[in-house]
Amino acid sequence: MATDLLRAPLQKTVNPARLGRRRKPWGAIALFIAPAMVYYAIFIIYPLLSTFYYSLHQISPIGGKLVTTFVGLQNFVEIFGDKIFFQSAKNTLMWGAIGPAIEITTALALAMVVYFKVPLHKFYRVAWFTPILVSGVIVGLVFRWVFNFDWGILNVSLRAVGLEELAVNWLGRRDTPIWIVIFVHFWATFGFSFILMLAGLTAISNELIEAAYIDGASKLQAIWSVILPLLKPTVITVLILSFMGKMHAFHVVWVLTNGGPLHFSETVATYVQKRAFGWSSLDLGYPSALAVTWFGVTVIGVGLITRWLRSRVED
Amino acid sequence: MATPPTTIQHPARPAYGVDLSVWLRRFRLSLLTVVLLAFTAIVIIPFLWMILMSLRTTGEILMDPYGLPEVPRWSNYLKLLFDPQIRFYRYFGNSIFVTFFAIVLNLLLSTLAGYGFGRKRYAFKFRGWLFALLLFALMLPPQILYIPQFTMMAKYGLINTRWSLVLIYAAGGLPVSTYLMATYFSQLPSELEDAAMMDGCTDLLMFWKVMLPLARPAVSTVILTNSLAFWNELLLSLTMVTKPEMRTLPSAMMMFVGENAADYAMAATSLVTAMLPVLILYLLLSEKFIKGLTAGALRG
Repeated sequence: MATDLLRAPLQKTVNPARLGRRRKPWGAIALFIAPAMVYYAIFIIYPLLSTFYYSLHQISPIGGKLVTTFVGLQNFVEIFGDKIFFQSAKNTLMWGAIGPAIEITTALALAMVVYFKVPLHKFYRVAWFTPILVSGVIVGLVFRWVFNFDWGILNVSLRAVGLEELAVNWLGRRDTPIWIVIFVHFWATFGFSFILMLAGLTAISNELIEAAYIDGASKLQAIWSVILPLLKPTVITVLILSFMGKMHAFHVVWVLTNGGPLHFSETVATYVQKRAFGWSSLDLGYPSALAVTWFGVTVIGVGLITRWLRSRVED
Repeated sequence: MATPPTTIQHPARPAYGVDLSVWLRRFRLSLLTVVLLAFTAIVIIPFLWMILMSLRTTGEILMDPYGLPEVPRWSNYLKLLFDPQIRFYRYFGNSIFVTFFAIVLNLLLSTLAGYGFGRKRYAFKFRGWLFALLLFALMLPPQILYIPQFTMMAKYGLINTRWSLVLIYAAGGLPVSTYLMATYFSQLPSELEDAAMMDGCTDLLMFWKVMLPLARPAVSTVILTNSLAFWNELLLSLTMVTKPEMRTLPSAMMMFVGENAADYAMAATSLVTAMLPVLILYLLLSEKFIKGLTAGALRG
């Protein structure tokens, strides 16, 4: 202490009160964080706010320039009378309810199977993940052939086993296309949910499971009362990711059916694209209002799922 | 992967000649294997079918869609890539260009930001808020952004250029990449920093010479996750680029198959060609792919 006090006047630059406390490197902070945040503000935040702004306007390219007219809530009012929107909303909501349910159950079952190391589990793990890597365009085009009426795999198989009358034009009817879309999207994405579930399972401590065995639990009992409760956070995450994925899926639908025939498999994502850039309706305001509405629906959906699952955890 | 507890010894059962429970177990296991193999077949058969078709002629396919190639027609691939009518290599070039520059831009921003957000040394009052703002974008679907992104690109004359896609893809991948980098950087020991600072090292030098080389695993995860997403993206690619020669692979494939709907062999060839680079990389690095994509999604 004493020596410190003696030395202090000599070291003018060191303030004793701030000894051991470094000055904040503001320059470095700005250098590291600012570029990304500025970039993010320009390309994400600004477009996000603009979409909300657009949704209250009519925006039409006239003479090579975009002309913006304020129309208030008129776009949103128009949505209520839009039959195609209701058709696509119905399809997408149905998909958002059924798709994740199928995906989660399958992914959970498959992850369990691989976790318990059935024969060939290493092969399954690599094989089931493969569809994730392929562009939705490729998936859509290949399954257009798989469900081809004349020579697609499905109809050829059905005819081969004598179920001639079941071999219908899967992508050309009013009732089947949306189910084909749900199936193909499941095919393309279940591997992701599967891998996330498996990661959640491997994170569970083995000791807990072994303790259950020692207490005389069977494998099924251990799964039901030890593994599943511990896996709940993962299941919730995967469910929400899957739900958001279905609510905004574009690639597979666009290529497989393009929403057709006659909007019977239209989803909100494909309808927004058609209204914004496909049809020559020349207005970017209305599709923006559609996007805002649907984003709101998705956020509410995610909120409901989280609340519902939380309350079930507490039970 | 951790080892699951399958080695638990159940109490030995008395052996009455033939042990029925062993047979029951074997029967159940083979039943399960049959079910799983059937499921796996549904996953793999479309790929195999596509590859087989790409090696045949359309004539052969029309005769029997499920036959094997009489002679493997490797020339289909050469024709697809270099035939003066098709010249698919251009789209390959465009996709490589877009993916490469978007990754470079994305890495430049996300490694710096990840370092700034991840290290204790750079903590300040609203850093947590800023980071949360950045991660908020993970909730945003492309539909809520891409109409203004389009008008923005139109305003600056970037429509129908590959740079429009570079700029937007780099932004889209920014939250995940920064998150991955920040998590990784936050786990590196602070002694490294202290020692280097003692030697009078500047912050930027410290980042570049010491920390970034240590974060190589996270960088490779970021590259893998993002390049897959950029390579396969369709919605923005359709919207920003309408000139045929500027298209990236996904939209080019769609157009090509649409225009040559009856030429199944060439259509299949184009699909396999677009998929092949990713598939080969995956077979070589499957563990890295699986880990990388899991890390990107499970942010808890």
